[in-house]
Amino acid sequence: MRKWVYFAIVLVLGGLFWWGMQRDPGKLKSVLVGKPAPDFELSLLPPYRAEWGERFRLSEHRGKPVVLNFWASWCYPACYEEAPILEAGWRKFRDRVLFFGVNTQDREADALEFIAQFNLTFPHGYDPRGKVGIDYGMYGVPETFFIDAEGRVRYRHAGAITAAELEKRIREVLP
Amino acid sequence: MRFLWPLIFFAFAFAQTPTGEPPPDLPPEVFRIASELRCPVCQGESAAESNAGVSQEMRRQIAEMLREGKSAEEIKRYFVERYGEWILYAPPKRGINWLLWLAPLIGLLVFGFGFWRYLAEAGRREAELELSDEELKALERRLEGE
Repeated sequence: MRKWVYFAIVLVLGGLFWWGMQRDPGKLKSVLVGKPAPDFELSLLPPYRAEWGERFRLSEHRGKPVVLNFWASWCYPACYEEAPILEAGWRKFRDRVLFFGVNTQDREADALEFIAQFNLTFPHGYDPRGKVGIDYGMYGVPETFFIDAEGRVRYRHAGAITAAELEKRIREVLP
Repeated sequence: MRFLWPLIFFAFAFAQTPTGEPPPDLPPEVFRIASELRCPVCQGESAAESNAGVSQEMRRQIAEMLREGKSAEEIKRYFVERYGEWILYAPPKRGINWLLWLAPLIGLLVFGFGFWRYLAEAGRREAELELSDEELKALERRLEGE
């Protein structure tokens, strides 16, 4: 009888340890969900200045849902996997949703090379210090935030996003 | 006495601070606050120890906020508002978190109880094995008789 009690204790503690080890902080729900998206202003990377101006301020684009994507050229392979998916999403929804990329803790030349490689046409800001990422409680690139037309964060996706997930989350923030 | 040496050795080994000396470019107060915050992209490293870009930026922001006259509590709250309580190395002492803080004590009590029961059981068995004076004398007589 007592042997079984000891066995059960070991089993419970072992199970707890195993469960704890399996948990990924990236899967934690963002504390920003339901709250206003933190505002920021970034200088745009050169290819987008002709169309969008020198600087981009999030609060100036209220009224339209925003897909905010954090990425870096050194983030391989996740950022490379999702770049074409994001571009396709932008081309499909550009009339109704704004896509904005935040290049995080990167070198400008590397960022531009990445943009050229995937022919990314939605605007990208340059954040070499990763200040905006901290404001959004980002764990690591890539992360994608879905912000509704009222400027509230509705969902945070950690890791490379799939086409199906992107479309599903966009439809949730569409008015 | 010899068995104490490893204990003494480990006592000193654990007394070392993992961060060592802070680099001179930021005040030590920055590192003290950063050591209570997690590096978001690392596993089991604080924002004081880690050299990841995000940790460097966190230290820079802490230094900035200190210059603005913010208290350590206000700075920690700034990060909690963005990352949740997960970012704190020491979970706040309230609600279910008390279980976490008391777990070592509970473990020690459970171990102590088990150990006490074991000793009591061992003592009882030893007493059972012990011979009474009469039994001893009877055995001695048998040996002498043989």
